[in-house]
Amino acid sequence: MALKDTLKARWFWYSNLCVLCWGGWALLSRLGSREISPQTMQFLFTIGTLPVGLALLMARKFKMEPSPRGITYALLNGVLAGIGGLALFAAYHTGSNTAMVTVATALYPMITVVLAVVILRERFRLVQVLGLGFAVAAIVIFSL
Amino acid sequence: MHVPPWFWFALVTLLSWGVAGLLQKLSTNHISAESSLIWLVVGFLLLEPFFYPGKSVFAYSAANLTWALLSGVLNALGAWALFAALKSGGKASIVAPVTALYPLVVIALVPFVLKESITTLQVAGVICSLIAIVLLSA
Repeated sequence: MALKDTLKARWFWYSNLCVLCWGGWALLSRLGSREISPQTMQFLFTIGTLPVGLALLMARKFKMEPSPRGITYALLNGVLAGIGGLALFAAYHTGSNTAMVTVATALYPMITVVLAVVILRERFRLVQVLGLGFAVAAIVIFSL
Repeated sequence: MHVPPWFWFALVTLLSWGVAGLLQKLSTNHISAESSLIWLVVGFLLLEPFFYPGKSVFAYSAANLTWALLSGVLNALGAWALFAALKSGGKASIVAPVTALYPLVVIALVPFVLKESITTLQVAGVICSLIAIVLLSA
């Protein structure tokens, strides 16, 4: 796709918005964690997510798919994401290097890729194997 | 060998978010991405009783409390923007690796916001991670 078309595409700007929001989220998490305990950070963070969740709910006119499996997976997703968030705030709270903690925790797709192969029987693709190699190298460097 | 304390916390994040990523895949097989985000917030809420800070929360500075609340707003807003990108015709194979590069924003802003130094070896680790993030989410 030509650059001109990409710059006109809505998905391109939404993607940029996502990057900016998540970058801001990580940076503000680090700033807040200098003083605030990880538990309280996670508590306040969740309150912050509520307006967006409510706005989505209203946009859908409170209609949700009645899928017990879908809901169970999504709820568990929230619980695990919350526990991960708590640990992220704890990592930031130790006063360690912000860039390192942020990139190290952003490596989580490596676990998802491995689990998708083991549990969902998806196949490894060459790029993913390469990615895993770089991820392992990074983690070894960070542990030094 | 002395492993820095932040490393173990980061490892817990890596593991929980990695499994969460799989659950997200599974949930969006059954319900829409928006519903999945709404239930994710409900999942966050289930944890709130364990983290309830009581009156101790008022001991913190107003600025830091604001950062904590705003971090939640931005995180959820970012997730919504990701869904919107995919819905408005963005290919997952392009949108996913691009959005996973959010640490670049942090790396760009850290020198202005926080006074931190980083060793050459750590820079190598950061570069390896960024390559890995793009390849893994492609």
